[in-house]
Amino acid sequence: MTEKHRDIDCREAADQLYAYLDGELTPARAEEVRRHLEKCAPCLAVSGFEKAYLRFLEARNFGREAPQSLRKRILDQLLFLDEGRSDTA
Amino acid sequence: MAPQPDDKRRAFEEEALPHLDSVYRVALRLAGDETQAEDLVQETMLKAYRSWHQYRPGTNVRAWLLTIVRHTFINEYRKRRRAGTEIDVSQVEAFTVFPEVQEVDPEGRFFDQIVDDEVLRAIDALPDEFREALILSDVEGLAYAEIAQVTEVPVGTVKSRLFRARQALQRELYDYAVEMGYIKKQPHD
Repeated sequence: MTEKHRDIDCREAADQLYAYLDGELTPARAEEVRRHLEKCAPCLAVSGFEKAYLRFLEARNFGREAPQSLRKRILDQLLFLDEGRSDTA
Repeated sequence: MAPQPDDKRRAFEEEALPHLDSVYRVALRLAGDETQAEDLVQETMLKAYRSWHQYRPGTNVRAWLLTIVRHTFINEYRKRRRAGTEIDVSQVEAFTVFPEVQEVDPEGRFFDQIVDDEVLRAIDALPDEFREALILSDVEGLAYAEIAQVTEVPVGTVKSRLFRARQALQRELYDYAVEMGYIKKQPHD
């Protein structure tokens, strides 16, 4: 069965745009947004801009790693917790 | 027979510790300072280790750890967070700065000129619930359902918080770019 798609307006397309770009819409909902963008040049332009914005956020390397000293401190404490437990067992 | 400490530690090291960087990044943005973030991470990981029996193998361990880091932050660290100027998210009504840039920069190239520190400053100025949604989504790449799990709100709330957080951040970065002369402000009608 082919699902019937609703026509959505610019307002609804704008509301759904991030979820659409994030791949969070159901296939039917995504199709509605896709169709709207196909026939609405202003919304398509906004979509291109928002896509660039999300890509910019994603590309920023906030990928800081936890300091090695912190990692070591945590490992030491796990060991300490284990020993504490076996002592009292 | 109860699992031996060695088994428990091995399981924890294999499953939970690989997410330490993720926990640290989220802690850093929640706490807003490295020393606090390290303490927060340490406390989180020890809590997680102590309650490892509550973690169900095969479920989302990262989301589980991020839930703990968030609770720990809210209960013990939030009041210590240095209060700066907060972006007023309620003021974000218009969707996207695009109408203001479409003539001069329709592809949003000005974003690329903004240095990381400035982006982080703007993220840090978002109110807690909006900041956490944005970090979990756009820094850590969690799906809406995972963010809903970590922040204990419905998916619809995640969606609207993320929407407003992204728009508020975009507005902030745009204002900054205008101020720095990266982009020319268009006169309003």
